[in-house]
Amino acid sequence: MISAAGTSSSSSPLHFIGYFMDHRHEDLGWLWSHTWLSVLPVVIGLAIALPLGWLARRHRFVYPPLISITGLLYTIPSIALFVMIPPILGLSSLDPIQVPIALTVYSVALLVRVVADGLASVPEETLQAASAIGYKDLGRFFKVELPIAVPVITAGVRVALVANVSIVAVAGTIGMSNLGQLFTTGFQLSTPTPYYPPIVLGIVLCVLLALVLDGLVLLLNRILVPWRRVAR
Amino acid sequence: MKRKFLRSVTAVAAVAAVAAVGLAACGSSDSPTASGKSVASGLILGGPPEFKTRADGVPGLEKNYGVTFGKFTVTDTGGPVTVTALKNGQIDAADLFTTDPSIAANDFVILTDPKSNFAAQNIVPVINKAKATDGVKTTLNAIQAKLTTSGLSALLTKVQTDKQDPDAVARQWLSDNGLAATGTAASGVSLTIGSANFPENVILAEIYAEALKAQGASVKTTLNIGSREKYYAALKDGSLDLFAEYTGTLLQFIDASATATSSADVYAALAKALPANLIELDQATAQDSDAIVVTKATADKYHLVSIADLAKLAS
Amino acid sequence: MIITRVFNWLTDGDNWKDSHLNTGILTQLEAHIRFTGIALAVAILIALPLGMLIGHTGRGTWLVSAANAVRALPTVGVLVLLTVIIAPHFHGRTDTGYLIPTEIVLVLLAVPPILANTYAGIDNVSPAVRDAAAGMGMTGPQVLFQVELPCSLPLIFSGLRSATLQVIATATIASYVPLGGLGRFIYDGLAQQDYPQMIGGGVLVAALALTTDLIFATIQRYAVSRGITGRFPRGRPAVASEVQSAVLTGPEVSHA
Repeated sequence: MISAAGTSSSSSPLHFIGYFMDHRHEDLGWLWSHTWLSVLPVVIGLAIALPLGWLARRHRFVYPPLISITGLLYTIPSIALFVMIPPILGLSSLDPIQVPIALTVYSVALLVRVVADGLASVPEETLQAASAIGYKDLGRFFKVELPIAVPVITAGVRVALVANVSIVAVAGTIGMSNLGQLFTTGFQLSTPTPYYPPIVLGIVLCVLLALVLDGLVLLLNRILVPWRRVAR
Repeated sequence: MKRKFLRSVTAVAAVAAVAAVGLAACGSSDSPTASGKSVASGLILGGPPEFKTRADGVPGLEKNYGVTFGKFTVTDTGGPVTVTALKNGQIDAADLFTTDPSIAANDFVILTDPKSNFAAQNIVPVINKAKATDGVKTTLNAIQAKLTTSGLSALLTKVQTDKQDPDAVARQWLSDNGLAATGTAASGVSLTIGSANFPENVILAEIYAEALKAQGASVKTTLNIGSREKYYAALKDGSLDLFAEYTGTLLQFIDASATATSSADVYAALAKALPANLIELDQATAQDSDAIVVTKATADKYHLVSIADLAKLAS
Repeated sequence: MIITRVFNWLTDGDNWKDSHLNTGILTQLEAHIRFTGIALAVAILIALPLGMLIGHTGRGTWLVSAANAVRALPTVGVLVLLTVIIAPHFHGRTDTGYLIPTEIVLVLLAVPPILANTYAGIDNVSPAVRDAAAGMGMTGPQVLFQVELPCSLPLIFSGLRSATLQVIATATIASYVPLGGLGRFIYDGLAQQDYPQMIGGGVLVAALALTTDLIFATIQRYAVSRGITGRFPRGRPAVASEVQSAVLTGPEVSHA
């Protein structure tokens, strides 16, 4: 089954495939929680960032303070945010919900600016043309401005998703259940001699997850902005 | 043009300067020579962060033996960092666990603890009262009766040194000890078994899980949960039903003022300290206790046998 | 109230000084700045010349994509892997065996944003500007250092600042391996169930990140030509060009 490793030592880095087969159930559980922990905050973050970005676009004076505040949030290191959220929200100090909350904060912080800048990239003449054909406020926003801003927003979502996959693993070092546990396990078992399989498996699964999520966003982008394909 | 060039060079230089501020401050600050002249005052102790503050940690060594180390370095909880640091001389003494196969593998010396600084740490299943049917109790207590310290150490060697899978090791142990028989003693019971994130605890959880499954229980496992704070809360609120615990540390965790040290006293005190929905089953003779461990070279150099020897004056 | 206890922890002078068995905030802060400084210095030495070269020649852009792909690596995983490989080879009273893996991870984090932004900055310089410089008789290196580099400073700074933020944030996981640094308070506080210490550590890291970013912002303000930022004492506002550069580069910062 694991002959690909071609070695008798089960500590070989290449044995990670065999390790995965032996611990499928657990690993897939962690992969699943890792996935939703990475994705959900971006979805919620986008839902919060869209109206804020729209506000910043609509009322120019909102832009500078909004960008400063969200920029400030972004300087807080993730592990610091993980530990600061429970007392602020009155949660138990190891409540697993702190991870998605912290990641949502980052996603909002990153996406507000992206949405605002994306909307700002819509040419003035396009807006005037849209108004001239009779689009009103919200209709123009959803039918014209937002679609044109999609490529810029997509770029932001990709950065947020890939970053989240790595940050979620950090939460594994303070006891949260996700792929980060593979690193803890591998580290723990590395005492007389290194035990590579879980560590390598964790890295491989994290990278694959990041690539798949990235690919899905690109695919979504293609579906949402078909005119780009035509233009090419 | 020249100005622009200068400007960018200055900018890059300024950034490099900021980056280099830290580099300049590289000087390693050696710990000052300790006031005492005991053996320990010239040594560095390594252990998990909480060892510095725990009642049986640094404060306990000082109180019970008058031992004060020159420095305490945070390593990890009896894991690879502590072992490597002790082996390679980053630290001189370490807080390790007595079942750790790396102690024998590296010729480390466990210092005896005549004053019982470390309380007894017998393995005990802590279980949700509602799930502790007679069949479940019988099944688990049969395991407890066969668990010995050397047996536990052997199990750990298989997982840690030979890198075998905990569940396979657990099944093997059950059949070696005549406990693999299938039956219906636990049928109709469904429970979730948890484990902490160190190999030994995972093996114990797997042993309980395999045995209960063989007796017809429907078992779910949630392994490698982080700290005790987290899994104990889960036990209390019923999201976990069964956990392999260590009598001394659990008692200390629930009641920081507990003073019991012998196996029997700790076991009795723990029974009283547990919340109403949790009970302890039989404790095994198997113990996995904290211990102060030094290298063979250090033990020979200072003639160390017990922790008390660390308080001797250095010659 | 936990917030008061955090405040008390932060304002207790004893927590700042080293004592017999405790390492104070000042020493850990210095260690944190040291880890960050080394990583940034190395990353700048690698990424800045490389980015300038790729941007100027237009060759080797695959390197920028490759560096970006590195971001998908989980930081903790790489740290654990390198530690397990490297640490056992160091003997005696040294933490080099843990320092090397940590620095490698931090450099891996810092290189992509600096490289990508330096490249993008140089690449974005308008061809007309480049032609004008060449037309004035400037040589290749002169165009690079006297025209392209000054023009791309805003983008280079944005890459540098996001790299710095990431490195400061991620240097906390050095304490998982376990080295010193401000992360020590977070991991120790967690293990000792001393939450004021844990949260206080978090606050200190955030404060360090913020202060450093302000320093860089100030340097940037004085280093970048007003002809590029459009930040004149009077006259048109700078918003337009800022928005444009943000759109051109896309969002940058990511954490670990």
